[in-house]
Amino acid sequence: MRSAVYNSAIPADPLKSFDCPGLVFRLGFVGSLLILILLPGAAISARAADWNAPEQELAHKIVAITGPGVVAFSVENRSSLGQRDHEIIQDGLRSALAGLGLRFAAPEQAAATVKITLSENLTSYLWVAEIHQSAAENTVVMVSAPRPENSGLRNTRESTPLTLRKISLWTQDEPILDVAVLEENPAPAQIAVLDAQRVAIYRLQNGKWQPEQNLSITHANPWPRDLRGRLIPARDHLFDVYLPGVICVSTAAAPLALNCRESDDPWPLVPMGLNAGSVFPSAGMNSAGASVPQMKAFYASTRNFFTGAMTPGVGKFGSVPKFYSAALLPRDRYTLWLFAATDGHIHLIDGVSDQAAKLLWGSNLASVKTACGAGWQVLATTSGDAGDTMRAYEFPDRDPAAVSAAIDLPGEVTTLWTEAKGDAALAVARNRETGSYEAFQLALACGQ
Amino acid sequence: MKRFNWRWLAASSLLCAMVAAAQTRPQYGGTLRVTTHATLTSLDPPDASQTDSVARRSLLLMMFDTLVAIDDNGRIQPALATSWQASSGGRRWQLRLRRGVKFDDGTPLTAEIAVSSLRAANASWNVRADADSVVIELETENAEFPAELALARNAIAKRSADGKDSGTGAFHAVEWEPGKKLALAATENYWSGRPFLDRVEIEMGKGFRDQITALELGKADVVEVPPEQLHRLSSGVHAVSSQPAELLALVFAREAASPEEKMLHEALALSIERGSIRSVLLQGAGVPAATILPNWMSGYGFVFPSDADLPRARHECEQVKATIHLIPVWSLGYDSNDPLARLLAERIALNARDAGLSLQPTSATAAEVRLTRIALSSSDPWIALSAVAAMTGATLSRSKENSAQDLYAAEEDVLASQRIIPLFHLPASYATAAGVKDFRVRPDGSWDLSNMWLGGASLGNHGQ
Repeated sequence: MRSAVYNSAIPADPLKSFDCPGLVFRLGFVGSLLILILLPGAAISARAADWNAPEQELAHKIVAITGPGVVAFSVENRSSLGQRDHEIIQDGLRSALAGLGLRFAAPEQAAATVKITLSENLTSYLWVAEIHQSAAENTVVMVSAPRPENSGLRNTRESTPLTLRKISLWTQDEPILDVAVLEENPAPAQIAVLDAQRVAIYRLQNGKWQPEQNLSITHANPWPRDLRGRLIPARDHLFDVYLPGVICVSTAAAPLALNCRESDDPWPLVPMGLNAGSVFPSAGMNSAGASVPQMKAFYASTRNFFTGAMTPGVGKFGSVPKFYSAALLPRDRYTLWLFAATDGHIHLIDGVSDQAAKLLWGSNLASVKTACGAGWQVLATTSGDAGDTMRAYEFPDRDPAAVSAAIDLPGEVTTLWTEAKGDAALAVARNRETGSYEAFQLALACGQ
Repeated sequence: MKRFNWRWLAASSLLCAMVAAAQTRPQYGGTLRVTTHATLTSLDPPDASQTDSVARRSLLLMMFDTLVAIDDNGRIQPALATSWQASSGGRRWQLRLRRGVKFDDGTPLTAEIAVSSLRAANASWNVRADADSVVIELETENAEFPAELALARNAIAKRSADGKDSGTGAFHAVEWEPGKKLALAATENYWSGRPFLDRVEIEMGKGFRDQITALELGKADVVEVPPEQLHRLSSGVHAVSSQPAELLALVFAREAASPEEKMLHEALALSIERGSIRSVLLQGAGVPAATILPNWMSGYGFVFPSDADLPRARHECEQVKATIHLIPVWSLGYDSNDPLARLLAERIALNARDAGLSLQPTSATAAEVRLTRIALSSSDPWIALSAVAAMTGATLSRSKENSAQDLYAAEEDVLASQRIIPLFHLPASYATAAGVKDFRVRPDGSWDLSNMWLGGASLGNHGQ
């Protein structure tokens, strides 16, 4: 059962959590690469639980009542445990009881019957043994067993022009607002994970992400619900953090510091890799080979959307409808902007006209620049059986055309941003089974 | 670059038009209209004159915060207290308060106010302020004490001289007609983030049929539905149920005065055909119960058989008859405002007669045995069991180990007194209008609107 606890005023330091068994299962990046989700049948098998301690405890309790001898023994599962665990526990209990001197026989040949039920309550598994000895009342003994955590990933593959791949980056219990790849070699070698409390920096060592530093975020006002944030690599320092009403700037070199201030400055919408101020000079240009001018949008500091005020404006539009997310599709002579507006429509704004379309997409959009298809694609969510699905689209004109199969995400997508280089996106989904937040890098591959 | 297949694109465009819409981000704004059967006449969290109900808990926890909260997995989570520490083996508890929290009248939360609030709710507690902490000294060790602090009656309220309570909750009252209507507005600077809704209007004292009609006519967004009537909801209505968190039980007005009377209580328990009552009167809702705590809370409920055993019930009645020669006639009270209660009482009386007992159903308030709905007070099993035990005059104290085995023994003791006969565990059920999103029901049946939002037509003109 639970014991007295002390919670730090600042929630548990993830640097420590790495050594704590039973805490969140974090994927190493190399391991993640090996289980590229699009491979059919790829799955992470549930971690095998160690049932030895509760088996021994229950066996001792039973034998304390029956004494050594012959018993009829059965195990019934009324809990959420699967058949495999049921069998493992049954075998374990049988061994534990045998080790304490019990032998097993049919009920008519036994001095006692021991019926074990694998049950559970709100906080743990509960294994209950009902012991019936001749001419005596039932005796009931029980032990609690901790609930192990499972994780699993699902996948599909279709034959389509482009292939959308997702690569697991990071998993944690707290909502992930953004993940930035700070160093690539060529796979990500250093990442920064933004949540409501901190930026945590991890480095890949021996195939596992090792914590390097935690940078706390200070803010005077309460965060809005459905908190969102951006973590953007910068040219003359490591990164900037944009949160509702707050901007934080990191220092340039380790040991890093993060300076946060109240600010309603607009958030950049064009990935750094695509505009003139890029820290990734080779990352990408628009279809004509020119960089895309920066566009910034003001975020409502007490809500979960952008106010629609833009700087500079989109052509003749100084402001656009309030929106949750935006994607850009550079054309030869203009840039078509897509805004997932709070009115439920996708607004396509080319600087001259504003066309509202009802596309049945979610409110998360991101654009990626690739060497495939038309060169620019928009990633958008739709609803799947077990969670949201993600799909790539192109806009030959003003109507979307799907150019990839939909890939499953383990739950509702809470975050979707274009990565700094502009050629991939970062998605976070809340796993429907575990409740944890899983960050994925989404990239498009050309061809089948 | 590979040549692009535009025919494929055209087909895909059609396909994408056919898929379901994805979840959108929560939208701010709108007014939620809720109806309840319960009538609250006081918004004071510790007011003992008010019957504990899931509606009362739900409303209080919208306006007032507790120091800690119990999550859906039964774990204690920080709320107004960000950290806590036990010492002296769980006898002394120190809880550090969250900084920067304000009451809806603008007063900052202080340890002194929290102490005053807790004292008002628990006169016997030894509680004091220590800088930014609240310190509580218990008479006995209790490793699970924070679960007590998560109860709605222990929510922190600041009482002004005019008797008005201020809270630190996500909503604050803007209109209050005791027993009739309550209107709440979102607290803009709520410490855990402003709720998505702008306003919540609650109409109280509504019959279940009226509530469902209001939902169907678009005059309410969230209504209560008796579990046995869930199947009658029209197909477009979304229903949400909690874990079985209400106990339907027979409660005797007094302890059995003799071993024979105790045997008759047991005979009554054995005579009741819970399975067929569930099928017919409850329309398949609820779970037949022989324990006070539902299985999801205790994990051992299945050990207690709930099937009727008429031969044994008759045998016990005959044994008593052989000793005292006369089986008393008991009055069986039921709530005349509960349309299901009379039917249940009549069916129970019928079952009892088959065993040789005589029960007289009555809607009078005084009765020897009463059909009672008990809202289990917490998802913490010890607290829930203790509260029910207290109704029967029994006092429970947690064991030091706080184990499931000790809980089982404690419940076995309460049941052995035969003062209470559990019948069913029932969920709290609600129906919501189409635009209601992320309506959440806590395991104890109370609703939580802190993350709820309105989408589509329900948002109306109030949005954003």
